[in-house]
Amino acid sequence: MNIELTDLTRTFGRNTAVRHISLEAGTGVFGLLGPNGAGKTSLLRMLATVLPPSSGTLRLLGDDPAKPAARRDIRRRLGYLPQNLGYYPSFTVVEFIEYFALLKEMPPGRIPKAVASAVERVDLGPRAQTKLRTLSGGMLRRVGIAQAVVNDPELLLLDEPTAGLDPEQRVAFRALLRDLGQGSTVVVSTHLVEDVGAACTEVALMDAGSVVFRGTPGELTALGERTGVGDSPLERGYTTALAAARS
Amino acid sequence: MTALAARALAPASAGRLLRLEIRRNAMVWALPLLAVLFVYDPYRTASGYPPVWDVRASVILNHMLFDFGAFAGGLAAWAGSRDGRRQTRDLLAATARPAWARQAAALAGTLFWVLLGFLAAVAVLYIQTARQVTWGGPPLWPVAVGAVALITICAIGFTAGALVPGRFTAPLVAVGVVVLDLVGFREALGPSSAYALLSPSAGALPDDTGLFYPVAPDVAIAQVMFMGGITAAVLGILALSPALRWPGTLRWPGTLRWPGTWRLPAGATGPWLPAVAITVVAAGLAAAGTAAGLAGTARPVVSGWEIPALHNAASDRPLAYPPDCTGTSFQVCVHPAFSFFRDDVAAALDPVAAEVAGLPGAPLSAEEAAARGKGALLGGVITGIPPVYEFNGERAGSLIGAFQGTTASASSSTWRALFQQAFLDALVAGPAHAGSPGPASPAQQAVVTALLTAVGSQVPQSHQVAGGGPPGEPSPAQIAAAANRFAALPSAARHAWLAAHLPALRAGQVTLAQLP
Repeated sequence: MNIELTDLTRTFGRNTAVRHISLEAGTGVFGLLGPNGAGKTSLLRMLATVLPPSSGTLRLLGDDPAKPAARRDIRRRLGYLPQNLGYYPSFTVVEFIEYFALLKEMPPGRIPKAVASAVERVDLGPRAQTKLRTLSGGMLRRVGIAQAVVNDPELLLLDEPTAGLDPEQRVAFRALLRDLGQGSTVVVSTHLVEDVGAACTEVALMDAGSVVFRGTPGELTALGERTGVGDSPLERGYTTALAAARS
Repeated sequence: MTALAARALAPASAGRLLRLEIRRNAMVWALPLLAVLFVYDPYRTASGYPPVWDVRASVILNHMLFDFGAFAGGLAAWAGSRDGRRQTRDLLAATARPAWARQAAALAGTLFWVLLGFLAAVAVLYIQTARQVTWGGPPLWPVAVGAVALITICAIGFTAGALVPGRFTAPLVAVGVVVLDLVGFREALGPSSAYALLSPSAGALPDDTGLFYPVAPDVAIAQVMFMGGITAAVLGILALSPALRWPGTLRWPGTLRWPGTWRLPAGATGPWLPAVAITVVAAGLAAAGTAAGLAGTARPVVSGWEIPALHNAASDRPLAYPPDCTGTSFQVCVHPAFSFFRDDVAAALDPVAAEVAGLPGAPLSAEEAAARGKGALLGGVITGIPPVYEFNGERAGSLIGAFQGTTASASSSTWRALFQQAFLDALVAGPAHAGSPGPASPAQQAVVTALLTAVGSQVPQSHQVAGGGPPGEPSPAQIAAAANRFAALPSAARHAWLAAHLPALRAGQVTLAQLP
């Protein structure tokens, strides 16, 4: 298992963002659904080793990130796209991705090819030498995805990756997700249930810091067949699962 | 990839990281502006100084540091605040390379351009100086002190930006550097205190600095130690900054207690980083404190300042040099560094030397000697047997602008008259009066004025008549009348009177009325 969480909790002062979550995930695309404030981003930040948990245990890629050496090794094998992607406007697309490849301590000889591959994967080849300040929001998001996948991560964490992408890019991105999920663990936090339906092999629904549903997208869809509210079968399953958790 | 393999690849990837930081550093955009500033401030200022290595090099610390420092500090703060301003902290925190290594690369990117610009400016200054000087070699200590000062300013600015990453941090740091340079440092330490020597701004130097005695490096060593210590302390604080952002989380010997149950070392670099950072801070503060203590013991000597613990006695030995001489009946010798004005000095002294030739105590030659410290400018003295008129570069150099025609308010004739006056003052008034513009008695003033008039020189301002004198003493008009009377005498008569009365005149025993 690439992700093993046991009774994981994260508090910020009096607020509990993540509440006693136990979860395991192996190879594949894992969807993390939930309303605003459900704790998805906090959970993802803990998985990215950015935020230490308040209690519970966390094992990533078979290692304990509480140990400095293990954490550094995990980070070399990790890809992370935060919800709010910060960037350096004066860098070009290639420079920004190369910068993160270097920070991920990739072997220098591999970097040029890996950067070129990442740029192509997000379809930014023609913009490779463009300064980031001139890119649109959707293109910046693709740059963020490229930096996350540049090191061929074994664990890829994507927080709202499709926000700002046009439909064509979203479709292409889902294909990329499926491709990446073949050999690594991909965790996608999103509001967009159609992304989950199209790309995820497994899904967890969070509400108020807890996981209230865990299963396949098909199982979530099935939940809402009779009672759910929404425009698509998956949306109906989503609303039904949330309503059940809150009742 | 194993940790061992990653470590082996580290230098190559660090080099690529540095290359990226250099290419995208904002400092590069400030370089054209710095070039303009350099031309209009340090370069032009240095051009107005005599072509003496140490004097020209003084603009490095007195002007160039001021111009470069504000930009260096502000743009280093801009680079330091980048991650906070651009909200990339989460993204960066999930990467394997330690924060200190990442920040070191960003700081190095700024330093690269700052030091490149600084050294290029020094090179231009030194090349221009090398084309004009006739003696000595370029001093390296001012360059070292300037470089270390800029590194310190960058380190402080970068750390301020990293700890307080706002968009106003950079301009505030830039303004802070200007204020510190203009008033803060020297004034805070006390301008007359030896501790003020820690400020890299050196103040004006005597124009013959480094010509007759080597410049002792004592103060420069203390300055480098002081600023190096501050740099180390500031960088140590930067390495500890995760701990400082969450006060109370530091646990010796090197683990940070993060909120929650984990005990994570700072920057994910292992438990050694906080321990090393604290050690560096302590060592830096110790070095800075030691340097301050050393500066407090400084005292002025012929070679500049002596700090007993750092002083090399060899610095106090006069430098040997082959004097550059001209003239036969009245020989004029200057230091080879001042060869450029040898003929003008000779041309100025020859007429007055001829006018007083043969008088008791009249010098047979003139020789440039070391200035004896600031604040006691000697117009010149007549010493030795046979008598030699000793003047110094300070006397000539303070008028160098007039001499070279670069000072609008003075002309070469003014310089010539002042130089001749100093010669006559030394003869007529005896030993020179430190800082005194002219001789002591009215009769001496009248004689000097008359002799200047006799050789066709313009009478300097200090000897010109204006208004009434103090009660009980002859008025300027009376002195002028006596001078005119004496000047109107035939040369032989003047000479004969002086031959008979010069000792009494020098002793102040001759009154205006007694002048023929």
